[in-house]
Parts: sequence; structure tokens; C-alpha cells
Amino acid sequence: MPYRLLRFALNKKYAEPPMFTEPSKLKKSYDVVIIGGGGHGLAAAYYLARDHGITNVAVIEKNYIGSGGTGRNTAIVRSNYLTAEGVNFYDKSVKLFLDLSTEFNLNLFYSERGHFTLAHTDSALRTMRWRAEVNKHMGVESVLVDRAFIKEIIPEIDLDCRHNMPVMGALYHPPGAIARHDAVAWGYGRGANMRGVEIHQNTTVTGIEVKNNKVVGVKTNKGLIQTNRILSAVAGYTPSITKMVGLRTPIVIHPLQACVTEPMKPWLNAIVVSASFHLYISQSSRGELVMGASLDPYELHSTRSTLDFAEGLSGHTLELFPFLSECKILRQWAGLSDMTPDFSPIMGKTCVEGFYIDAGWGTWGFKATPASGKTMAFTVANDQNHEIIQPFNLSRFEQYELVGEKGAASVGH
Amino acid sequence: MKILKCPINGPRPIQEFIFGGEYRPMPDPNNTSNETWADYVFNRAGEPGIKREWWYHLASGTWFIAEHDTVKDVFIKTYLLQNITEDE
Amino acid sequence: MSERLDKRQGEWIDRSRSIHFQFEGDDYTGFHGDTISSALWANGVHILGRSFKYHRPRGIFGFDDIDCNAMMESGSTTNIRADLTLIEEGMSVKAVNTLGSLKKDRLRFLDYFSAFTPVGFYYKAFHTPKRLFPFYENQIRKIAGLGKIDAQTPMKTVIKDYGFCDILIIGAGPAGLSAAIEAAASGANIIIIDQTPHPGGTLSYRYKNKGPAIDLLNQLLEKVKACNNIKLQLSTLASGYYADHWVCLTNKERMTKLRAQSVIVASGCYEQPAVFHNNDLPGIMLASGALRLINHYAVKPFQHVVILAANADGYRCALDFHEVGIHVVALVDLRREGEQSELDKQVKGLGITVYRGHFIYEAIAGKMKASVQGVVLRNLDTDIPVNKESEIKLNCDGIAMSVGWTPADGILRQGSTRMEYDTRLEQFLPIECVKGIFAAGRVNGVYALKDQLEDGCCAGAEATALIGLTKPGNNKRPPKEESPQSHPYPISDHPRGKNFIDLDEDVQVKDIVNSVKEGFDSAELLKRYSTLGMGPSQGKHANLLALRILAHLRGETMRGKQITTARPFTSPISMGHLAGRIFTPLRRTALHHRHKALNAKFMYAGDWLRPEYYMTDGLSRNQCIETEVQNVRNRIGIVDQGTLGKIEINGPDVVTLLEKVYTGRFAKLKIGMTRYGLMCDESGVIIDDGVISRLADDRYYISTTSSGSAAVYQTLQRLVIEWGLEVILVNTTSTYCAMNLAGPHARKVLQPLTDVNLDPDAFPYLGIREGIVANVPARLSRVGFVGELGYEIHLPADGAITAWDAIMTAGQTHGICPFGVEAQRMLRLEKGHIIVSQDTDGLTLPFEAGMKWAVKMDKPFFIGQRSLKIIENKQRERILVGFIFPKNYLSPKPKECNLVVKNGEIKGRITSVGFSPTMGQLIGLAYTAPEDSDVGSTLSIKLDDGSLVEAKVVKIPFYDPKNLRQKING
Repeated sequence: MPYRLLRFALNKKYAEPPMFTEPSKLKKSYDVVIIGGGGHGLAAAYYLARDHGITNVAVIEKNYIGSGGTGRNTAIVRSNYLTAEGVNFYDKSVKLFLDLSTEFNLNLFYSERGHFTLAHTDSALRTMRWRAEVNKHMGVESVLVDRAFIKEIIPEIDLDCRHNMPVMGALYHPPGAIARHDAVAWGYGRGANMRGVEIHQNTTVTGIEVKNNKVVGVKTNKGLIQTNRILSAVAGYTPSITKMVGLRTPIVIHPLQACVTEPMKPWLNAIVVSASFHLYISQSSRGELVMGASLDPYELHSTRSTLDFAEGLSGHTLELFPFLSECKILRQWAGLSDMTPDFSPIMGKTCVEGFYIDAGWGTWGFKATPASGKTMAFTVANDQNHEIIQPFNLSRFEQYELVGEKGAASVGH
Repeated sequence: MKILKCPINGPRPIQEFIFGGEYRPMPDPNNTSNETWADYVFNRAGEPGIKREWWYHLASGTWFIAEHDTVKDVFIKTYLLQNITEDE
Repeated sequence: MSERLDKRQGEWIDRSRSIHFQFEGDDYTGFHGDTISSALWANGVHILGRSFKYHRPRGIFGFDDIDCNAMMESGSTTNIRADLTLIEEGMSVKAVNTLGSLKKDRLRFLDYFSAFTPVGFYYKAFHTPKRLFPFYENQIRKIAGLGKIDAQTPMKTVIKDYGFCDILIIGAGPAGLSAAIEAAASGANIIIIDQTPHPGGTLSYRYKNKGPAIDLLNQLLEKVKACNNIKLQLSTLASGYYADHWVCLTNKERMTKLRAQSVIVASGCYEQPAVFHNNDLPGIMLASGALRLINHYAVKPFQHVVILAANADGYRCALDFHEVGIHVVALVDLRREGEQSELDKQVKGLGITVYRGHFIYEAIAGKMKASVQGVVLRNLDTDIPVNKESEIKLNCDGIAMSVGWTPADGILRQGSTRMEYDTRLEQFLPIECVKGIFAAGRVNGVYALKDQLEDGCCAGAEATALIGLTKPGNNKRPPKEESPQSHPYPISDHPRGKNFIDLDEDVQVKDIVNSVKEGFDSAELLKRYSTLGMGPSQGKHANLLALRILAHLRGETMRGKQITTARPFTSPISMGHLAGRIFTPLRRTALHHRHKALNAKFMYAGDWLRPEYYMTDGLSRNQCIETEVQNVRNRIGIVDQGTLGKIEINGPDVVTLLEKVYTGRFAKLKIGMTRYGLMCDESGVIIDDGVISRLADDRYYISTTSSGSAAVYQTLQRLVIEWGLEVILVNTTSTYCAMNLAGPHARKVLQPLTDVNLDPDAFPYLGIREGIVANVPARLSRVGFVGELGYEIHLPADGAITAWDAIMTAGQTHGICPFGVEAQRMLRLEKGHIIVSQDTDGLTLPFEAGMKWAVKMDKPFFIGQRSLKIIENKQRERILVGFIFPKNYLSPKPKECNLVVKNGEIKGRITSVGFSPTMGQLIGLAYTAPEDSDVGSTLSIKLDDGSLVEAKVVKIPFYDPKNLRQKING
């Protein structure tokens, strides 16, 4: 039994300091205002304080911390992307994740499970090889594996998929991991808070003041704040914020749904993704299967659930794991995904001075949390785009310099 | 499942429809700056609100416009393109 | 030991049918109609399961879809709910999540270590040193989780169907039944469902002492039966509510997706527990759970009970308990003023001591915490903080809690009903329902029986008026209950904790306190940190309590508080239900069975099944494909192209449309001729290609890629509307079949079968003709995808087999062989033709893919042109080139998507590669940097194993560069 747990038993008073302090009122001005108290916003605040000594920072969250995409994703971390730019960025994120529990002294249950992306068609297999080759070239562990390999790691899987589109092979990414997603936000929040960053929950941004193409302040339901630097890290709510400064972006919002089953004893170690079946599935440390599907087909700013999703997802799950037919789905939910045309984020400086954007996280935002926090903190602190996010600048669209993450087919996650 | 009213076929389950994106009249390509053109090609009105959207009834091959409240997920009205009023 | 009572009026068991079953290896007998829980309790078995975290013994708690500690496994099925599942003859069950046996669970020591495992303990340990985390995680995973999954379990799916009705009523209790009767008069088509196997709701187990409950129920049921337009469905759960009154109904055998015009929610309330030390022991129940046990199953829940009450229901329980011979030791009323009604006297009249203003400080546990031995009471006013002397100790073997209710509002909340905390009733109430949803009865805060009936009536009338069957009347809803039915804070603290809020997750009061101290002080954060409400019962008995504690700790009132968002499902639902019989559409071409007979190896291409190649005994896959290729080059082959998109476009504005959507020119295309067409999106990226044929002045026929056919057709339809063109589009993708007859003997084979003059002068290369083939009307076109003399034959799908057979017969003497997708890929590669989506990706521009020739930038307009004009002069980053390997190079073979690298940087990738039987060497297409794209340049290709090999850039086509073969006069 770890010593830390002993402390709880021995210490009469509760042995844990508060995770967050409730700040008093908003101050009149801050050096930096971060809009959005999700993983990304809090991570940026943390690195601003830790690496750049900027602590006069307010994180403004309209709900509670981690209430957006941070707490609604399926908690998968991986870096097996298709483009060099993507792999570079997400690999940095994976590496940061590895040390985060120690750094925060908070167990994020970062669990390396190995990540399989199943290919059911030869064109999918070709895309998998493309990804594998780019990954290997960039020094990321990724390999194209055959059916026998998959079966060895996941003996329970029905690779013939009940005779519907048998699995031909898979992209195997050993560092693929899952983590306690909420805890990532808490860890960053606590770390930032300890260093003096204020986290204002239940505070809504109602406007941004811009003078001579420079941001000068943020209007909230709790008063006006003066600031020269604003970082927008609000994922599914980005278009509302960018509108406040008159910026147009290619972002459209689609819901992404997910669900969990009742807990069961561990049997599935790996993370399994099938683009053809619109399915991803992993088993949490608590024993629940966490499952997701593809994006909802139409634009929406609502996190409503649909039955079609649960039906389709169950059908496809049973094609791979027919023995789960009596396993029960406990709860379904949805998050808002800020989709971009090239399935890559929009990060960095914008044409409005002092307005920095961290958006376009679509269905891949959670895994980017540490890297986005770190690079955005650099960008805000130096008013200069961090080198590895340069390809993700908003101006790339106007310049027709999109990032080729979409690959041959429109398959995300 | 939501019900969407096709102007030709009446109310049908939304599974029969395909979303066709924001209704965006094209600017005159010969008379527009590169920036305006790129804005037309890539940028979208992504913020919540009531939007005019293209929808396609797959079973009958009908394209039409729906005014959609993207926060409440309510379709306010649907009509064929010819009945659109530009000043709305 | 039998705890079975004498027959109860309206009981749910059939005593004439004994059922034998096994629990934890021991034999038991129950009656038909017993659930696992009731049958076991009747047999004196009180430990039905172990808790999730501390492995404490648990028994029956509420009998209301919340007993999630009594989960069983049977054979390969797991997480079976003992409170809801009926026993069956020969059934054998055991409790989940125990190590060894239920009684001697080796993990029960965890209860004694709870001081080491405070809320969120797993966030606070096990991560240092890092290398040990996988070990700890493994241990934690093993201990967590409920039932074991058996991968050998056969797949069980249920029937899925659709239902339609005017009014769906959820809950067949007094409010639901009276709503149905009222609404039925309008002629509305009504479905009323209830989760339990018998109707009546509270009427089936409450109000027994008042006499008329069963009579009233029977009267209501008779009225219901008399209405042909009411369908009563029992054992059916409304699992989820979705937009526009789309409700998911489930029972054991079926899932029904029901579309209603209106939904009346009369689902009643969930009783809420009180919180005190050891409030989880077997024998401690919600009063309603005990009443259900007595009246539904005729089982005595306990012999000597202490009732903890905060409402009149508690007193009624006392009377009911007394009536069946349970010794009511005392009634402890949390309210200082006690019960003001007659009930107080009645209870006291039976000699029952009533302690007003007292609370249960702790339950005294029996051996192994498997039973209750007594309670310790304290006085609310004098014993806080502590006054041990005045503590009252009573002996009992059961505790019944009747301290409050929360509406069973899952469906209401999923239907976006606004719920607000009512400080008078001390519970949530529906305030505003979405149009078409009505709440009635106790879920609506209406408790008195006559008011419930009235409330149901009103809801029924409102529903029929809404759907237009009746005129809106002046029905006035009865008033909501005036006095609180729930105690605002039925929670007592205890230094030793184990005062549980959430039995699913073993969350105790101190866990909430500590979570809040740590800063998780909103309902949602608390839920995420403490896992409160995350278990199988989804916090039905826990969320409200937690909210009360949260408000208390923050020094706030409950006004304006909100419970965490409710989402489907109201109760967990199996994937077999949701999946139904899995329906996966698969498309086969008209010639599928011919391919099968020819021993085709099929492959999936989108939704289609296509022959990859035709298998020949003794030949490897590659040998088969090479043979097919050579046969086309040297003799004649035929390939099924039925999957191509095929669209007819007619009308005066056809040319305008084609000119605008394709990058090439079509205005001057002669009648009877075809031309390649390339399509871009608005950003200039290649999205599709095909052949455009002009059949008449205003009649065109186009083909598209197989995967793009639906999207192209839909896009064309939209553009026709948008541009106001007079054009008619007909999608003939499925109604037409297509095959390509190619090879030097093509003309010889085909001529005898067709009335079209195949003479090259009459039917030149790129021509199209209409006629018949084997008596089937057909379109023939001379196109050159594979680079030989060839005819693409398009004909109605029902004539495909006739034509195919005739061609195969006619071709026999010329050596005809079918060829598959793989051979076709090699044949076109030898000709350097690109396949859109294989040789292009999501960003490929025509200039990059060597398609500049097909793009007429000087046309007035085409989609993508304006963007291409912007990008045209920008520096290219990549160019698609042809490359070859030396003839003597054999292995290791490069593969598609191997990278082209230079100085350690990725410059491109191979998009197509293969051994060309015709050229006798490896050939392929690859993207590379523009500076390396000149003929004669060297490409450095990184193979799977990381080694680098060199290939030479050559001019394409690789084969027959002057395109003579497709024009030969064979």
C-alpha cells in the first residue's frame, strides 16, 4: 500500500489541501484573460505561470471547470496522425502526458493500452500504411499489423465481423493511452491556481472590447476586465467568441456522442477504433466500456442525445464483440466539436492584436491538452507563434495552405 | 428521432435527410478580391442561432432550405429555394 | 426458514407454480412471479450482493429499479438485476463482484481499510514511482468492475419494431390509468406502459389499510379494458425520450421505437433514503420497498422494525406492517411536530411508541455486518452535538425509511422539462414541459389519491386537446400537495462514517464533505470527483441527497439548485436491444452470381462487393492478377463496372451545367462522342472524375467514380436548383449495369452480338453509340482506361446477365477471361491514369496530379476555378510522377504509401505501385518535390523496414505512350 494512502488513515484532519480556491471578485485588470476553463485553457494558464512567470491571469469559465469537451470525450491519447505537422505536435503532447501525474502529484490514470485502428477495406489499409510510414519516419511507434497480431492481443475480437466487412489489418500504435480526462483539467487548474492564477467559474463572457484592432478588455456578466491579451480556448463555443472580435473562421459545430456501459471486470486492454464501423471503444479503469461513434451529421449547438447513435454504435460493437449483446449501456451524452475543413486545429496569433485563438479541436482536443497549453502559453507570452503550431495558424485558409490531416477520406478521431 | 418537414413530401424522420451545409450565395468570382473569395470558400457562420441550411430529402431527391435553430434543434420552417426571400 | 406471508389480495406470485433455482450453489424454491430478490428473501437469504468499493453485504433496498448492489451472474450472462428479474425454473445465479463466495468474499477486508481509501484516493496515490503504476492499475482494475464477461457468450439480439400512437402514457398507476380513461373518450389511440409486470403503481402496494385500493384498481382496470383504443403494455420500460416524442420502449423480448403525438408522464416518485451510520445493512429498506415485498410477493421483510419517518406515509406503513404481523418497535419521526393527522393516533393506538424530533444516529450491525441488530436514536434538539446519556437504543432486525420522495422524472428531464426545487414540498417539481409532454400524479407533486386521479384526468384532457381530438376544456389541475412530503435534510453525521449516500458507489457523507473541501463544490464537479450517481442506478436515490449536503455545506438553501443533467437511459439497456438484428446494407452488382460461379475473390469497395480477382487453382493471388492483366493485353478480358456512378442529364441547359461543374470544355463535344471530365470542389481540390458522353444535342450521359456517385448526383441536383437551370437528372447507377470489354480481340467478339457498326470509321475511339447487345438495348463507348481496344457497355441491369453470357460465349474462342479490380488497377497504372482518392487525397490540386491538361483555366467559370487562379502561381509542394524500378530489382517490394524522402524529410508518398507484367518491372506513381519531378530524377523511397531504395522518374504512360493500342483496328 502506497505511503500516501497511509497518511489519510493516520491523519485525523483531512490530509488533502483544497484543489482550487474560490477567488474573490474579478479584478479590474489582468495581464492575460483566458476564456474557457477546460483542459486547454487551464493548461495554458498553468504554463503561462510556470514557464513564463505570468501569473496575473484570469481563467473565465461560464460553467464549471472541464464542463465542455474536456469532460465529454472518450479520453484517448495518441499521436499516430497522418501529417508531419500533426505527428510532431501530438507527439509532444504524448510526451508531456507521460510525466503529468508526477508533475501534478495527481494520478491521472494515464494508462498505455495500445491503440488499434482497424482497416476493413484495402483503401483503409492503404491509409493506415500511410500513417504508419509517416509515424515511423517521425520516430513515433506505429506499425501496420495483420489479423493474427490483432487476435493475439485481443483474443475476444471477431475479426470476421459476423461476415460484414472482415478486418484486414490494423494500424497499431503501442503508446496509445487513456486517461481520467476530468483529472487533467483539475491538475492543470490546481497547478495554475497554486501559482496565482484566478479561476472564475460561472462567469460568462458577453463581449470583447477592441480598439484600433487591439483587444483592450473583456465584458463579463460579473463586470468589465481590462486586458491586452486574450486567449480564446472554448472549442465548441469558438464562433461566438471570434464573432466578438469580428473574426470569421471555417469552424462549424457538430455534436459528437458517446456512451458508457455498466462496469465489468477487465477484459479489454487495448483501445480499438474502426473508422468503417464508426466506432471506438476502450475499457476504463473502473471497468466501464467507453464508446464513441462518428460526428453527428448536421450542425448543432446542442448536446442532446439521439437513439440512432446508440442503436448504430451497439450494432457495430456487436459485430466486433458479439458476446457483449447482454452488456448494458448505462448513459449516453454528447459534446460539441469545432470542426475545421482540414481536420487540424486553429492556433496562434490572429489579425486582431492581442487576440489568440486555440480552437478547431474537433474530435481530437483532449489528447492535445498539454501541447496546446504549452505552445499557446509560449505564443501569448512572447506574442509570437510557437514554431510547432505555425502550420495551424488561422491565416492558412486564406493562403490556401491547409494541413493534409484529412487524408484520402473524411475519417476523423 | 427528429421530424423534418420536406416541402414536397411533408414531415419525415430526419434519417431520410442529408444535411447540405449553410446556405451561402456565391459572390461573383470575376468581381471579388482573393480575400473575399477565400472567405466564401472556407469560412462559415459557426455561431449558434437560427440558420438557413441546405437539406436534401434522400428518398425523393428534393433539395430545400430549412430555417434551423441550432441551439434548440428546432426547424422553424422549410421551403424550396425558389421561395427564399433574400431580405430575411 | 420461510418468511412467506399468507395470501395477499392482488399479490403478484402464483402459489400454484413452484420454481426451483440455485443461488450461490444452494437450492431454493420460490413461486412463479417472484423476482430473484423476493424469492431469496422469502427463503431467509438476506445477503444478496456485495457493494462496489468496500464489499459490504447488501440486501433488498428499494425494489424500485435501484437495488444495484444485488447484481447476479448466471452462466454467461452478467449484471442481472435481482430486484427486477423473475426467477425461472432451473436458473442458477451467483452474486457478481465477489472473490470466493458471497458470504466469504475475500475482498470484504476492504471495508476495514476504508480510512486509507478516501474519496478520490486513486487520484492521490499509485502514480509514484511511475514504473509501478501499471502494476497498481492492474490491481485496481481487477477489484473494480462488476460482473465477469465471457467471450463465448452467444450473441442475443431482440426484435426491434416501430410503434405509433396518439398518446403514450408512462406509468399505469392511479394518475396514468385515469389519464388513459379520460383521453380514451376522445377516440385517441392510447398506449399505457408500466415497468412492472402488474398494473396499479402505488395502488398495488399502498393504501392497503384503507381498503379500497385493490377495488379502485380493479375498477380502473375494468374501464381501461372496456376501451378498445387503450393498449396496456406491462413489463415495459420507457428507456429514453428523444426529440419529437420518439420514445424507446423496452421489455425482455423487444425494443419498440414509438412515435407519439403526446406523452403523459405519470411515473410516480422514487422514495429517498435517510442517511445514518450503517444505513446500508441488509434489513434496512425504503418503506416502499418493504411494502412491495409484503404486498407484491407476500414476503415479510423483517420481524421487528423501527420506522424512520418524515411524512404521513411512514405512519401508514406502520399500520400496514402491524397488519401483517410485523412488530413495529418504534416510529421515529424526524419532524419535531410529528404527524398532525389522525394517523398519529391510529399508530399510537396500536401501542407503537412514536419518537418525535428524533433521528437514527446509527444502525447496530450484526455479525459480519450481515444484519441489523438495533438502532441508536438521538434527539434532534438535545443530542446535537453529542449527549450520549440520552441516546435511545432499540433492538430490531429491520429499519424502514419513509423520509421523502423525488419525482421519477428521467423521461421528463430527457424531454427538456424545466424542473425546479419547490421549497414547500422540499422536492423538485416540473415547472414547464415541452409542447406535448404532460406530467401527472406524484411526479407532478400531487400526492393525495383523489388528486392523483384528478390530475391524470386533466392531463388526459389536455393531451387530447393538444392533438386536436377535443376542444380545450376548462379543466383545472388539482392543487399540488401543500405539506412537505420530504424531509429537507434526513442526514446525520457520524464519526465512523459508513453513512451512505450512494449505495452503488459506496459514497459516504464524508466523501461529499471532503470533495467540497477540495474545491469540487458544484453538483457536476462533485459527481465527477466522487463518482456519485455514476453507478448503474444513476443516482436515483443519491443525487438529491448529495445536493442537500452540498447546499448545506455552502450555507445555501435548495432554492434554484439543479440536479446534474439527466440523459438516456432511464435504466440501463442491453446492446442486444439497441442493435436489434443488425442491418448492414450491402450492394451487389447485377453480375454478382456470375462472378461467384467464376470463383471470384470478392472485396469490399464502399458498400459494394466487387471481384478483386478470379481464383485459379494452383496460382497465387499475384499470379492470377498477372494472368488477367496479360490476357487483356494479349487477347481479351471483361470487367464488371456496374459500380460506376451513371447519370443521365437532359434538357436545354445541360451544357451550362457541365461547363460549370467540370474543369474541361463540353460545349463543342460532338454528338456521339465522349470526353474525360474532372471535378473540383470550391477550393480547387480534385473530388471526382468520369466520362461525359453526348447522346444528343440536349442529352448527356455521365459516369462518376463508384464512391463518389451519390455525392455527385446530389451536388448536381442542388446546383441545378441554385443556378435555375432547365435540366433533368436521372440517376441510373443501380438501374444500369456496365462492363468493359477490352483487349485486341474486343471488336471481333462484340461485333456479332450487336447491331452497332463497330468499324473504326463508323465508331471511332472515344465514340459512343446506342444499339443492342445480345438483344439488350445498350450504350457502347470506346474509352481507354485500361489502354486497349475496348468497349464499355452500359445496359439495363436486368439485361446484364444475358449480355455477359453472350459475350463470354462469343469470346471463348478468343480466350476471353474476366478480370477483377486488381488487374484493372494495374492495367490503368501501366497507362498512368490516376484513381481519384487513391492517387489524390483531401488536398490534391489538378496541377499536382498531372491533370493540368484537363483543366481549362480560360473558361468563363467552373467550380474551383477562382480558387485555382489564386493558387496557380504559388510554389507547388508536390508533383505526382511515374517511377520505375530496374528490371532486375525484385525485392523488398515497395508498397503503396511508402514515403518518398530526401535529406530526412518527407517529400511525398507512393500512391500506386505494382509489378507490371507487361513492362516486366515494378512501376508506380508517387508524389515528390517539384525539383525532383523531372524525368530521369531519382526518388529515394523508404520501405516498411526503414531501408531506402531508389527509383527513377519516367514519363507516363509507362505502356504504349502514343496510345496506339486503344485505337487499333483489331
